Amino acid sequence: MLGYIGRRAYHSVISVIGLLTLVFFLTRLTGDPSALYLPLDSSLEARQAFARLNGLDQPIYVQFFQYLQNLMSLDFGQSPRQNRSAIEVALEAFPATLKLALVAMSLATVLAIVVGALAAARPGSLFDRIAGLVSLAGASTPDFWIAIVGILVFAVGLGMLPTSGTGTALHWIMPIAVLMLRPFGLLVQVVRGTMISALASPFIKTAHAKGMKRRKIIFGHALRNSLLPVITVAGDLATGLINGAVVVETIFGWPGIGKLMIDSIIQRDFAVVQSTILVTAIAIFIVNIAIDLLYAVLDPRIRY
Amino acid sequence: MGNKSVRVIAGAMVVAGWAGYAAAQSASEIKIVLPEQPANFEPCGTIITNVGQILSRNVVEPLTIIDPKSGQPTPGLATEWKQTDPNTWQLKLREGVKFQDGAAFDAEAVKFSIERMTGGKLTCSNIAKFGDAKLTVTPLDELTVEIKSDKPQPILPTLLSVVMIVSPNTPADKAVNDPVGTGPFKLSSFTPQTVVLEAFDGYWGEKPAIAKASYVWRPESSIRAAMVETGEADLTPSIAIQDATNPETDFAYLNSETTAIRIDAGFAPLDDVRIRKALNLAIDWDGLAQLFGEDVQRASQMVVTGINGHDDKLAPWTFDAEKARALIAEAKAAGVPVDTEIELIGRNGIYPNGTEAMEAMMAMWQDVGLNVKLTMLDVNDWLRYLQKPFPESRGPNLLQMMHDNNKGDAAFTIPIFYTSAGSYSTFNDAALDKEVADAMAATGEDRTAKFKAIFAKVHDDLAVDIPMFHMIGYTRVGSRLEWKPDITTNSEIPLANIALKD
Repeated sequence: MLGYIGRRAYHSVISVIGLLTLVFFLTRLTGDPSALYLPLDSSLEARQAFARLNGLDQPIYVQFFQYLQNLMSLDFGQSPRQNRSAIEVALEAFPATLKLALVAMSLATVLAIVVGALAAARPGSLFDRIAGLVSLAGASTPDFWIAIVGILVFAVGLGMLPTSGTGTALHWIMPIAVLMLRPFGLLVQVVRGTMISALASPFIKTAHAKGMKRRKIIFGHALRNSLLPVITVAGDLATGLINGAVVVETIFGWPGIGKLMIDSIIQRDFAVVQSTILVTAIAIFIVNIAIDLLYAVLDPRIRY
Repeated sequence: MGNKSVRVIAGAMVVAGWAGYAAAQSASEIKIVLPEQPANFEPCGTIITNVGQILSRNVVEPLTIIDPKSGQPTPGLATEWKQTDPNTWQLKLREGVKFQDGAAFDAEAVKFSIERMTGGKLTCSNIAKFGDAKLTVTPLDELTVEIKSDKPQPILPTLLSVVMIVSPNTPADKAVNDPVGTGPFKLSSFTPQTVVLEAFDGYWGEKPAIAKASYVWRPESSIRAAMVETGEADLTPSIAIQDATNPETDFAYLNSETTAIRIDAGFAPLDDVRIRKALNLAIDWDGLAQLFGEDVQRASQMVVTGINGHDDKLAPWTFDAEKARALIAEAKAAGVPVDTEIELIGRNGIYPNGTEAMEAMMAMWQDVGLNVKLTMLDVNDWLRYLQKPFPESRGPNLLQMMHDNNKGDAAFTIPIFYTSAGSYSTFNDAALDKEVADAMAATGEDRTAKFKAIFAKVHDDLAVDIPMFHMIGYTRVGSRLEWKPDITTNSEIPLANIALKD
């Protein structure tokens, strides 16, 4: 197991370096940041001074080697936009996204497993049809629309929840509800589909024949055997959320890494773009390794 | 853990959350919600909207303040000034002023701030307003300072409105996020969620009614409007017209921005003045105005009322499609290739309904017989067309623009738009260059008259652009506050001017 984790970590480091190299060159292909940093009526002299201050007057290969050299000493660069260390900016924003993603994904997964399993237990029933409708709506409704309608109803109309921001338990409700809708919708359908297949398996028929209780058959036997595809999909969805729930963070004023990444790309804040990608890439690799390890826990036939 | 325990814990969390959410702020504390998060708090960047709206005249103060009505400089940290020769100004500084860190405000502090701004060791946005001027600052005594420039600066007091004076303890060679100034408020905290300003007890002026102001940011206009409506915030600038639905709390104000289309006069058929006039005449201005709201004002020039050089008497182009067709026919008869495709370049998100405006204008130009095709670009690509050097591959094009001048003088507009060397200018006219140079060196009424003459010439005779509208901003002000926005609201919201209702 430890050997497996070590091999994955080694490959991950190579992938991260490759990714950062790619990001370095792609960001610089977008052009000169001084056009966005300085006022439109800045003089040519001011633009040249900006390029000099930020090392952008050097040839790109010199900039790249300087960047690699700095990486060796864990110097990830300064954000010219924020006047501080780029990695500090990224690390400050990341926990907010992580917490939101963790709570939303956990709730969405648990809820989807329960609803999907119950729907699969009686295909075609009223519960199954309602679950199908709700999950389809959840998976396909745009989150910005849900977020704005939620604010109009629960904050402006009913006055029950704050419109946006952070600080109290109530501030979490709407962002989590909006963020979990899509994963919940998709996972219900995955759980239902895999459960229906599992429930038709010979070992379930055997369990029935032995007189085992229905609840134990569904949640104890069928569900455990249906979880691998669910975990795969949930893992993909979780990495998507870690990568930044941009719309939700923007609308609810959540100070996460998704919005930071988009803002930095738009503003050509190269150092912060690189740092946010580094942080999220490492997090995504950790999630992927965790999912692989979870496979082994759920299916004893899988060995690393 | 039993079900009962879970329920008790959950209930307690919700109650605690509710109590936190509903906790009333003290009567003299206010919350302001801005559209954008300030990326930094470098005082040399206060012309950037989201920095200036928090810092300007709250934490840091300028030497002069532009009167929003007259556009003239009025005393700030400098109380009086005189020009001793074309290149030299002397300023008297305000007595009894202390920085928030206890340092004394004096001529040396002014020298430090100006040299920090012009020294080239940090990225300073505000210096853009000075162009390429070189300044030498000499303290004459404790409260008198002399500023010499390498060429005449007839509007130096106006330019000094963007010089924010910072404590001499501020690092001179790097940008900061913890500015220390002389303003009525000091920066208490700056986090990714909020900025808090607290009243500075040692302020030289009248004690403000506000003791503490918190700033948060939400890009979505409807959310910001809702926050003020529900009492979560007290004030928000720049809400969209469709969210300004409450006449009791929502105030319209001329926000100093002017929308326009730049005509690239370097290519046929746009190098022909008849075609440029036809472009102005072909627009149904009343119809187009519906996209901008009923308070919007038609523009005939690139600066708003109150800016030195603005001419109230200069009439905007009116809609006359027949005359436009006649001019195009006349140009065609004279050999101008009027069928050539003209690219209309718009910028995504430049202002509300900006794309719709471009689509409507394209249709109106097509209607009079011009071959106009719309291309919408994101800001990065659009900037390539706005500023020199322009892309070599471009052909005849019209560029959607918005220009902001709230600094009191047309000097911040005319040279960049209309001179051969102007960074946005596609026009090359030696006679016009000379007129602009004369106006820039002039003072007083002569300066005003010369700027007016230039605006009249570029509008009536040369038709180098298509001025559209002077834009209107909407601000929602909560019922607790007594305050109205003005032309400066896009760049500053002085908390000391906000009164609290009883």
